[in-house]
Formats: sequence, structure tokens, C-alpha cells
Amino acid sequence: MIVYFLSILLLFLVAPLLLSYMKGMKMFLLLKQPISIFQGYRNFSKLLKKETILSEESSAITHYAPFLVLSPLLVVMFFLPPLVKGSYYVSFVDAFTITGLISLSTFFLMLLGLDSGSAFGGMGSSREAFISALVEPAMVLTVFSVSLMAGDLGVGQAGVNLAAHFPKEHMASYLFAGISFFILLLAENGRIPVDNPETHLELTMVHEAMILDLSGVYLAIIETASSVKFVIFASLFASLFLPYGLEYSAPLAMLIFFIKLFFIASVVVLIEVNIAKLRLFKIPNLLGIAIVFAFLSLITFYVLGA
Amino acid sequence: MIDFYIGLFLATLIVALFTTRLYRLLFWYAFNSLMLGVLALSIGKSIDDNAMIITGIITIVVKAIGIPYILKNLSQKFHFVRQITPEIKVQYAIMLVPAILVFTFYLSEPIVNMIHTNANYVAISISSLFLSLLLMMEHHNVAPKIVGFLSMENSLFLLGITATNGMPMLVELGIFFDLLMAIVVINLLFHKEELKV
Amino acid sequence: MMLILLLAPAFIMFVLSFSKNRRSKYLLAFTSFVILLPILELFVLPKPYNILASYLVADKLNTYVLLLSSIVGIGVTLALLTLDKHVKVSPNAYRKFYRFFALFWIGLIFSILSNNMGIYWIGLELATLSTVYMIKTNYTPAAHKEAWNYMIVGAIAVSLILFGIILMYASAKPILGEDAMAFNLLVAHAKEIPSPFLFEMGFAITTIGMFVKMGFFPMNLWLANIERASFYPVAALFSGILESAIIVGFFRFSQIAMKINYDHLFIFVFVYTLLTIFIVSFLIFRAKDFMRLFSLSGVEHMALIVMFWVSGAPFAALLHFGAHAFLKPALFLSTGVLESQGKYRIAGALRGYKGKKGTLFWFLVSLFLLAIISLPPSPMFFSELYGFGAMISTAKQGNHILAMIGAILFLLVLLSIIFYRFVAIYQSMKYEGEEKEKVVYTSELIALVLFAVALVSLLLPSTISYLKSIG
Repeated sequence: MIVYFLSILLLFLVAPLLLSYMKGMKMFLLLKQPISIFQGYRNFSKLLKKETILSEESSAITHYAPFLVLSPLLVVMFFLPPLVKGSYYVSFVDAFTITGLISLSTFFLMLLGLDSGSAFGGMGSSREAFISALVEPAMVLTVFSVSLMAGDLGVGQAGVNLAAHFPKEHMASYLFAGISFFILLLAENGRIPVDNPETHLELTMVHEAMILDLSGVYLAIIETASSVKFVIFASLFASLFLPYGLEYSAPLAMLIFFIKLFFIASVVVLIEVNIAKLRLFKIPNLLGIAIVFAFLSLITFYVLGA
Repeated sequence: MIDFYIGLFLATLIVALFTTRLYRLLFWYAFNSLMLGVLALSIGKSIDDNAMIITGIITIVVKAIGIPYILKNLSQKFHFVRQITPEIKVQYAIMLVPAILVFTFYLSEPIVNMIHTNANYVAISISSLFLSLLLMMEHHNVAPKIVGFLSMENSLFLLGITATNGMPMLVELGIFFDLLMAIVVINLLFHKEELKV
Repeated sequence: MMLILLLAPAFIMFVLSFSKNRRSKYLLAFTSFVILLPILELFVLPKPYNILASYLVADKLNTYVLLLSSIVGIGVTLALLTLDKHVKVSPNAYRKFYRFFALFWIGLIFSILSNNMGIYWIGLELATLSTVYMIKTNYTPAAHKEAWNYMIVGAIAVSLILFGIILMYASAKPILGEDAMAFNLLVAHAKEIPSPFLFEMGFAITTIGMFVKMGFFPMNLWLANIERASFYPVAALFSGILESAIIVGFFRFSQIAMKINYDHLFIFVFVYTLLTIFIVSFLIFRAKDFMRLFSLSGVEHMALIVMFWVSGAPFAALLHFGAHAFLKPALFLSTGVLESQGKYRIAGALRGYKGKKGTLFWFLVSLFLLAIISLPPSPMFFSELYGFGAMISTAKQGNHILAMIGAILFLLVLLSIIFYRFVAIYQSMKYEGEEKEKVVYTSELIALVLFAVALVSLLLPSTISYLKSIG
């Protein structure tokens, strides 16, 4: 039980670190002076100290929504597959619950964008709705098909099963699910082919547009939520598609897990550096590929068993 | 591991279906052929068949390196249209591709019960045949149609490799010869203006 | 040795096509007759005769088809001598046409003689690719477009054929090993094939590939468009040689499939061909020029041949096939002459041929036109009679007699539409339009006479008894 809470706490703490690492790495690759890896914490503490100003048009929703954005994600963190062998984990939560909680968080984020009453907020919300509507079916299908391969519908149990028994005989459908999930990871976290987290250009913003009017504590909470979201996706990817290292002793296993997280972050960075952002109306192409692969993975598993 | 390669084979073909740039399409075709070659090598190694290993090497050299290179050269020489937008819209393609896959998988289900070695690869190669047909259908330009034809050839080879553990050497060499002949003819077909009377 | 003799005319043509001498083509007209020597020897030799190990084997069926296609090849070589007099062609393109014709011929000789599915396919693909370039020798935008069209559709069709072949090979490999490519072994061991479903699926895919290549439903018009856009000898080669090779393949594959599950084969092919004839008969009714007309009627006859073959009347199928193989190239070659003055005009096309040559020409063309719609002395009349008879006797065994009679009546209605259209066209050619002086060249007449003689010789008792012994 202690390991369980400890690992959740660690994941929560490592989340801003991971985002700053990605940003720094990207700047390094673009031959800029990289930011410090602890920049995430600094931003957080700075935002806490700042005054919170709200737009005059905003209603009570703006007061609640940041917490409702973060809290479903925090709940999801409790349902992740274990980091260490023998630790406690919630075994019965399936693909639908996780996807549902994530979309609940997205829903409040969109409300928040609409509530600010500015043009940008509405635009960002509609784009976010557009993307997440395409992400969800693929996400459910992918996690579902991986859980089937692992032989258990619970995501936590699936992670454990996969680590114990790598699905060699289902390599093809496993691969398809992996491709699909990686595209989702990029799309849902607003990484580059889908959304650029660094610009404030009205033509390209999705995530930033929604939180443009926020400041102070609320902004800190939303920033935390987005970093937590990345950690959730990365650790799901790490434990479902790179299921190695669970059998070692607790500290080593945890170290391996965090190395995997940083590895995934590095891959994302490499993709971001090498690929241009897609036009908004090209995004369905990318997510379409994700849906096709998710579906393909499921039917390959069901019909062919490969 | 064979499953993994065959999965990548199908994956590259599906990604090629959604591609809108010619060079990217050629890259996916090359990757597709590379997977085919690696597959031939690994199966050939596991059943200890020299003919298959030779086939694999020829596939990698000719299809994964040679043909994409030649096509790229041709495209520069004859100024192909490099932006190739599929005629079938993405939203329909998203529905069409899984429909094709389900159809072909169920079509070949009786086979899976009949042959036991590498049975479901037959299903995958039939579906990749249909997908390459779709690739030919969804484009208006000539160049992606050629790539579609070539990936059709690839899916035929996949079937040959997996379902039958390799065809007789003579036939395979003949098929390669015809493939080269096809490239020559394609090259000749592009010479339009030069030969005008 | 046999193989060298068979390939010699094509090889000589290939080599001579590089020479810039304009006289050299006259030599080809004589050397092409050389191919008849080994074929006649093949008729005498005991069959099956191995030409090249067990890869190329001559048996009764393919010796017959080889003879047909060689006569067509000779005829086309003769007619090619005057190609530049009828159409505009640059000397360079003219030589290229010869070169690719030679390749085409080589491919199809392999294809027809092969006893191996793989070699059959390789020959077919070689022929397909060389045809692409033959189409392109006509430097018009239409021909260029149709060459691409042929490249793409032909490649799809040929790939489907190979796909089916691999599936069939896979189905028979457990019992025959590497020899599962050989037609004769497959026929002999058809009953023991462990996975008939796999074989039937392969057969279906191959058959669809072949049907697409022959212009069956749903690809009815593509061949017609291609033949319209290219030089007229291409059409003659298509109908005389390429379709012969495809149909030989169909005969061989269906021989195996008949042993595995006759009912499936029969229903599949019968419905497919009926549908094809249904559509083609109306397309013929609307055809406005010779090329499309003959090309579509070629599709119709191919469908009939396939239908007769699967209905258990190999004799009817082969006789019809032989008659079609001579008539259609003859018609296409005469189209080249007919259209050289006043393109695309049907009315009065046959008028104005004066002198001995001219009279002979219009007499022969009328003969061919009336023979292709199976008026009595034509071999087609007898083959259709036999074929429909065989269909009924097949149906009697299967208790589907009423359905079969209905199908035959339907077929006769469709054939009468075609018949009516052809008679109307013939009348328009002979009695309408203005009269103009037109010329015809000796080499073409020789080719047409050759076809006519071959056609008549199909009705000789010895030919008929030979054909009856094949089935």
C-alpha cells in the first residue's frame, strides 16, 4: 500500500519535470539555450504567488472548472498499472472508465474555455471537441484490445499480465495497438503534429486558446493537469506497450519505469522536432489512421488471433 | 517475430493509403518492401531454405532500394505532381479500410482452419491485395497508381512466401524479371514528348 | 531444338527490328512461316511431348491453340507490311512496333505451351507489358492515355491471376510439393487436394483476373477503348493471340476445378458469362464504329466459349474458339483497310473496291462479317448448335432443365439482338453512302485469304475428329 501511494506521489511529482525535460530537450535540439529541467516547479510556485484575475464575463464555472479538470486525472492516476511488482493496484478499472474520466476532464476544460467569453476560448473549445471526439473511440478500442491480449479487461491487471507474459503470439495486433496508442498520446496531449504547446498564434492554438484568460492559481492547476495527463498517457504506454522490468526489486523497477517515461518523452521530442504541425483539417487523417489501427488490432486479434 | 514483421507490413500499407505526398508514399513503399524482405529472410532462415533467403535479399535490393530510387529519379525527371490527394475522403477511407479488413479476414477464415502453418498470413495478404487495389483506385495521378501496382506485387509475394513457403525458384526469378520489365515499360511510357514525330 | 524453331520467327523479328533497312520487313513475312514447321511436327509426334523438361509440354489442346495463334501471327506479320500505308506512323515507331510484337509473341508461345502455372503467368505478363508499348507506338494523346490504362488495368488483372495461382499452389503443395505448379499433375491429383476451399478461392480470383483481361463484366469497355486508340494490328493480336493464351489458361484451370467441385464452377462461370453477354449485347447495339463493334463482339464470343467449355462441351468451345480466333483478327485487319479511307465511317465502307483485288476483298469481308454472326456454313453455327445441345444434356443430369432452357432462350434473344445489329451494319456498309475509289494491298489480301482457308479447314472431317478427341 505504501509503495502504491509512493509511486502515485512520485508520478505526480515527476510530471512537471517530464514536461520541462521535453521542452529543454527540444530547445537543445533546435540549438537554443535549453531551459532548466526544474522550470516546471518554478513556474508553479511563481503562479501560486501571482494575483488571480478573472474576466468580467466569466461565471462561477471558472471558479470550479480548474479543480474539475485536475481531479478526474488524479483519480485516473490511482487506476494505473503498478510500477513495482507486489505493489497494490486497482485491477478492475477498464478502458471505458479511464477514457471516460479523461474525457470528463476534457469536458470541463472546454467549459472553461467557453466560459471566459473571449473569442479564443470558444475557438479552442470547439477544436478540442473536434479532436477529442476522434480520439475517444480509438482510445477505447486500443486499450480494450490490449486488455484482451493480456487476458484481463482491467487495465491494471492487464499491465501486470503483460509484464508476466509478453504476447509473442499476438505480435501483429499488439503492434497495431501500439501505433494507435502512440498517435493518441500525441493527439491528446497536444503535441506537435496535432497542436503546438508553445505558440500563441491564433491559427494553430488548441489547448492554449482555452486557457488564455486564466491566471494565477487557476493557471497553475491547469498546467499541472496537462502535465499529469501526459504522465498518465506515458505511463500507460510504458506499462502496456513496454512491459519490461517489473520483476526487479522495487527501487530498480521504479528506476526502470522512470527511464521508460523519459525515453517516451524523448521519442515525442524527436517527432516534434522532425515533423511540421498538421493543418487543423488534416488532423482527422492522423486520427483516422489511429482509429483504423485500433480497429485493425481488435479484429486481427479476434479473427486471426495473430 | 514473424507476426511483428507482417504487422509492420500491413501497417505501412495502411499508412500509405492515407499519405498525401509522393515521396512519403515512396518511403512507405520502400519500408513495406523492406519488411517483406526481412520476412522472407527470417522465414527462410527458420525453415532453412536457401531459395527463400535469396528471394529476400533480391527483394530488399530491388524493391526496397532500387525501385523507390528509380521512381524518385523518374519523378524528378518528368516533373510528377508530388501532392497526391486521395480521391476517397478520409472519413470514408476510415470506414472503408476496416470494412475491407473484416471482409477479407472473414473470407479467409475457412483457410485458417485448413492449413496450419502460417495460416492467418493468407488472410493478411489477401487484405493487403485489396488495400493496394484501394490505393490504385483512390488516386488520380499515375505515380501513386504505379506504387499501388508495386505494392500489389508485394502482397502477392507475401502470399507466396507465407502460404506456400516459397514458390519454385524459376517462377520467382521470372516474376522478378517481369517486375523489372514493368519498370522499363513504365520508364518508356513517360517518354512522351521526346518521341513525337 | 523444337523450342528454338518455335521461337525463331519472333527472334528474327526482334533482331531485324533494330536494323534501319526498310526492306528487312519483307523478309519477316517469309520467315514467320517457319513456325508452321515445328507445329506440324508437333501434330505428328506422340502427345504429350516434352519440349522443355516438364515445363513446356505439348498436348492435344495446346498444340491446337498454338497452331491457331501462329496462323494469326503470320497473318498479322503479313498485314503489318502495309501498316504505314493506312495510318501515320514514324519509321522509329514502326520498328518499335515490330520489336514489341516479337516480345509479345515469345511471351505467348511460352504461355500457351507451358505445363506450369508459374511459367504460364510469366509469359502472360511479358505479353501484357509488351502490348503496353505496342499501344503507345501510335503517338496520339488518346493512345498514350489508353497505354497507361492498359498498364494499370492489365497489371491488376495479371496480378489477380498470379494471386489465384499462388493460392492454388498453396492448396496443392502438401500433396505435390514443388510440382504443385504442373497442370497435368494437378489434374491427375485434383481429388486429393487437402483444402478444396483454398483451391476454389484461388480459382475464382484467377478467373476474375482472366475475365477482366478479356473484357468481361464489369470491364466491358476498356478493351474496346484501347483497341480504338491503338493501331489496328494490336486489336488483331489481342483477339487472336492474347485471348487464345488466356483461354488456354482458363481451360486448364477449369479442368482442375471441374474435378474439385463442378457445381460451384458451373454456377459461378455461367452466371458471370450470362451477365456479360447481357450487357455486351446492348453495348454492341449502340456501337458506332468498327473497332468497338468487333471488340465487343469478341467479348461476347469469349463469353460463349467459356460458357460452352464449362457446360461440358469442349468440342463446341474449341470449334467456336478456333473460328473466332481466325475471324476476329481477319475482321480487325480488314478494319484497318476499311477505315484508312474516311475514318470511322460505316456507311458505304464496302463500296468502291474495284478490280480483282477489290472484289476479292469485299467478298472476303462480307464472308467474315456474316460468319461471325454464325450464319450456317460458318463453323460458329455448328459450335453454337453443339454447345446449346451440351448445355441441355448437362442440365438433364442435374434436374435444372427448365432453368437451363430459360437461360438458353434468354441467350438466344441477346444473340439475335447482336445478329440484327450486324446485319444492319452490313447493309449500311454495302448499300448506303457514296462510292469512292479505294485500294487494297496484296499482302493484306494474302493474310485474309490465309484466314479464310484456315477457317474453312476447321470444318474438315479430320479437324473435327481431332477436336473431338481433345475433350
